[in-house]
Amino acid sequence: MDLLTVKDLSFTYPKTEHKTLDGISLRIRRGGFYLLCGYTGCGKTTLLRLLKPELAPFGALAGEIAYGEEFGAPPAPHEIGMVTQDPNEQIVTDKVWHELAFGLENMGLPQAEIRIRTGETAGYFGLTDKFNSPTAALSGGEKQLLSLAAAVITNPKLLLLDEPTSQLDPITAMTFLETLARINRDFGITVILAEHRLEEVFSMADTVLAMDGGRLIACDTPKAVCAALQDSRLFPGFPTAARLWKALGAKGEAPVNVREGKALMREACGEKTLLFAPPEKEKTDAPAVLAAKGLWFRFAKDGADVLKNLSITLRQGEVFSILGANGVGKTTLLQVLAGLRRPYHGKIKLNGRELSAYKRGALYKNGLALLPQDPKTVFLKDTVRADLADILITQGCKKEDAEKKAAEAAARMGVTDLLDRNPFDLSGGERQKCAMTKLLLTEPAVLLLDEPTKGLDAFSKRQFVSLLRTLSAEGRAVLAVTHDIEFAAAVSDTAAMLFDGELLAAGTPHAFFRGNTFYTTAAARMARAHVPGAISVEEIAEAIAKAIAKAQ
Amino acid sequence: MKKRMISLIIVLIGIPAVILLGATVFSGVKYVYFTLIVSALSLAPFLISFEKKEHTVTYLVLIGVLTTLSVIGRLLFSVVPAFKPVSAMVVIAAMYFGPEAGFLTGALSALLSNFYFGQGPWTVFQMAAWGLIGFFSGLIAHRLKTSRIFLLLWGAVAGVAYSMLMDIWDAIFADGTVMLSRYLSFLVSSAGFTVMYALSNVVFLLVLAKPIGKMLERIQTKYGI
Amino acid sequence: MKAFGKLHPVTLLVYFVMMLAFSMFLRNPVTAGLSLLGSIAFCCTLTDKREKLEDLKFYLPLSALIVLTNPLVSHNGRTPLFFVNGNAFTLEAIWYGVFIAGMIAAVLLWSKAYSKIFTSDKFLYLFGRILPKTALILSVALRYVPLMKAQAARLKDAQKTLGLFSTGSIADNLIGTVKVYAALVAWSLENAVETGRHMKARGWNAGRRTAFSTFRFRFTDAVFLAVFAAAGTLLLLAAAKGTLYFGFYPAPTPLPTDPISVSAYALFGGLAFLPFFTETEESIRWTCLRSKI
Repeated sequence: MDLLTVKDLSFTYPKTEHKTLDGISLRIRRGGFYLLCGYTGCGKTTLLRLLKPELAPFGALAGEIAYGEEFGAPPAPHEIGMVTQDPNEQIVTDKVWHELAFGLENMGLPQAEIRIRTGETAGYFGLTDKFNSPTAALSGGEKQLLSLAAAVITNPKLLLLDEPTSQLDPITAMTFLETLARINRDFGITVILAEHRLEEVFSMADTVLAMDGGRLIACDTPKAVCAALQDSRLFPGFPTAARLWKALGAKGEAPVNVREGKALMREACGEKTLLFAPPEKEKTDAPAVLAAKGLWFRFAKDGADVLKNLSITLRQGEVFSILGANGVGKTTLLQVLAGLRRPYHGKIKLNGRELSAYKRGALYKNGLALLPQDPKTVFLKDTVRADLADILITQGCKKEDAEKKAAEAAARMGVTDLLDRNPFDLSGGERQKCAMTKLLLTEPAVLLLDEPTKGLDAFSKRQFVSLLRTLSAEGRAVLAVTHDIEFAAAVSDTAAMLFDGELLAAGTPHAFFRGNTFYTTAAARMARAHVPGAISVEEIAEAIAKAIAKAQ
Repeated sequence: MKKRMISLIIVLIGIPAVILLGATVFSGVKYVYFTLIVSALSLAPFLISFEKKEHTVTYLVLIGVLTTLSVIGRLLFSVVPAFKPVSAMVVIAAMYFGPEAGFLTGALSALLSNFYFGQGPWTVFQMAAWGLIGFFSGLIAHRLKTSRIFLLLWGAVAGVAYSMLMDIWDAIFADGTVMLSRYLSFLVSSAGFTVMYALSNVVFLLVLAKPIGKMLERIQTKYGI
Repeated sequence: MKAFGKLHPVTLLVYFVMMLAFSMFLRNPVTAGLSLLGSIAFCCTLTDKREKLEDLKFYLPLSALIVLTNPLVSHNGRTPLFFVNGNAFTLEAIWYGVFIAGMIAAVLLWSKAYSKIFTSDKFLYLFGRILPKTALILSVALRYVPLMKAQAARLKDAQKTLGLFSTGSIADNLIGTVKVYAALVAWSLENAVETGRHMKARGWNAGRRTAFSTFRFRFTDAVFLAVFAAAGTLLLLAAAKGTLYFGFYPAPTPLPTDPISVSAYALFGGLAFLPFFTETEESIRWTCLRSKI
């Protein structure tokens, strides 16, 4: 018998008609590393939570989940570990050592044993320095590692992870995933990981489970799943190497990481270097909307400088993205530009007038708008409709007009059917669209976006890119700070890197990504030797197709 | 119900009895101790009966969060002196979760906020004062939910009562004995605060009581608790 | 890490309760003075320059206020200095005011030291043994304090750019803060339910529970506790015999100087300065040790 068998599982939430899970059958081997992928709303969270009895959602359940003989009946809490997206809601105590000990305390283990196990676990996860720290003092990545450590410490037979890295930057996310792979390898703990950012994780898994619309549409090795799903709507979210493989005609086995992608490039191009000319963009002489010059900023009088003599100009209709590592001051820069924090030196001008010359109310009407990292903070009311109306009323709109205007704005953004929902019940992508709708009601000339693609799946991301392009065509300027290199490459007119308080290498995305080794797209890394200058799968495929056509 | 009766009996009969006993039989002993013993006595039955009952973990966490909310409110509204949502949150907790939850939210709010504003012997007294406000609010929860005017009046009364109770402590603490003149002087000097307490309770109950009720209802249907 | 704070929570609690109780209970100028000096010395080792200055700014006016107002509400005493509205303003009342001011300052300073030393994790450790459920609520509440502070700050920033807090007037500020507060309540309740489910998922309430702690009861703790018990008993006996009695009204009684009282003073002084000595000894020893590194 397997570790876990799911037979014909269906699930419907209360007060809804459609089945969130529809006839799922599945066998989980002992010691496997399973990747569960699919777009937001495909049912992967529901499936994972149903496997963990204490977190199982309420609703109508049909079918069967059978646990192997190593589990108690029903499985005890410590036998199945779970890590979810939001580190803040799953950490339950205020000290790191206590968080580690929590599960063991609940098992009623003796003090001496808890002391040893917390100590060695802290060592394994690199949390020794933080052992006596308050949990609130940890970074996002450390919090997720702590949650993982606290789940592993009870020696579970099964680890369930629901998009554990969606709130982390790529480098921290990799550390987390590598630790997870090590646990799977070192202790043979079975892992089921739900993720939508597949670039790196795809080749880590030994089995990929793909879900769409509540059904399990594939369950096989990563390569086999690529082959099976190359025409499905999930494929655009798959690793770049696999997408390149498809673009080049899907011959042979699918590559699933950059190394294999490079091999594919060598096969396709031989020793030749193909010419690729990046699309020429006309130089715009659009007027500058937001211009900052010589900004210096620090948080405390005797603290370190976060911004050092930083200058930036944002033109009408320009989409500008700033990349940079964690803690480099990207959010701070946005807050300074938005007028929320004051630089101690330097000038910021909006439409030629200094920020300080605006009254605060005037600055945020037809002026600046900021989408914060957590779009939940944009909402104040219990329905989206009330929230949209609220901001209009704050701006001096009459109540009846406000309702009407809000409905119009929602229709324009395609969120009409979300109007009566509670902002907390929306998915990441939906919530972000509603937050943008609210921001746009202030008719901003400049949109400042803080990590706008955090937690979005590939589908919502593409929608968001086209939304930003539309806004830019309307003449609005957009400045996004982001970790998401692929997003920056797809959306920007200008890209730059923030490092040590300064902006480095501002230029067109092609110029910018071509020059970088780390801060560049997976496609550019694969293309480097054979199609230098190309930064996306489409560009590589186009260059190769042209070369083939020429040769014939 | 029986347990509630016992707590009620202790609060309404036991405490005055101790005070009377203290005033007559042990008249030499310090009043500060009496106040502390009385406060501790009013805390004990609630805490003991609470520990013995079965509770879902969600209920416990919700009370914890309501407690933090009342303390954070104290920090958020520091712009206006004495304009604090603490008592209002205690009343709201009692309204929707009953006297026990009201008592706990009140007592623990005092304890928690003193981790930030300074612990001392007064913590015990403050815990009892806010705890009892929560307890009595819970006993009349039904009236509070049905009549808005009654709720606001009760909020004002709770504000005044809290201020007057704390003045008792200050007076006893200062003299080690009950001096009416001292108490009156404290009452007068803190009149501004008393008015602000009452006013802020009314405002916060007016603005928050209903929405929070709605939020709790929503959580109930969403998570089935 | 403070040397005195390294003691076991039980030892610390006994000490602080004793000091607070004796400070309020022994109405004797010598013990009150010792308690005040001991608490000042202890607090000096716990605070930095700025905090010391702030404390000075708080305690001096407070003490002055108490000294001056006591004669206004208390008209006992044999030596009237002058009359206000026909009520005597007496010398004894001033002396008594000085005594109360000293006692209140001592209690406040001991409480301050307690707050600094007896951190929430120590409190939870003791509390958790007697009242586990209440302690759980408190620990959740403590955990949420920094979370909510951060969330409130984020909400405030986000809403500033959405038109709240736009004029900077008090009314505007208040309306904005109330809206932010309501949103914070919604966020917290939502999170609370999820946290509760995670606690259950990690086995809370599944059966018998260990209360794990990183505190250890050492030999030093036993010694300290024995000393406290002995000193406490002796002081109580002395107080019960009435030897330490000192009256202010109508005229101050002579200060007790019999052998029992004097030894009680010495004992109490030793207790009051114990934390200060522990701290100083530790820092001297540490300086020596460090010179060897």
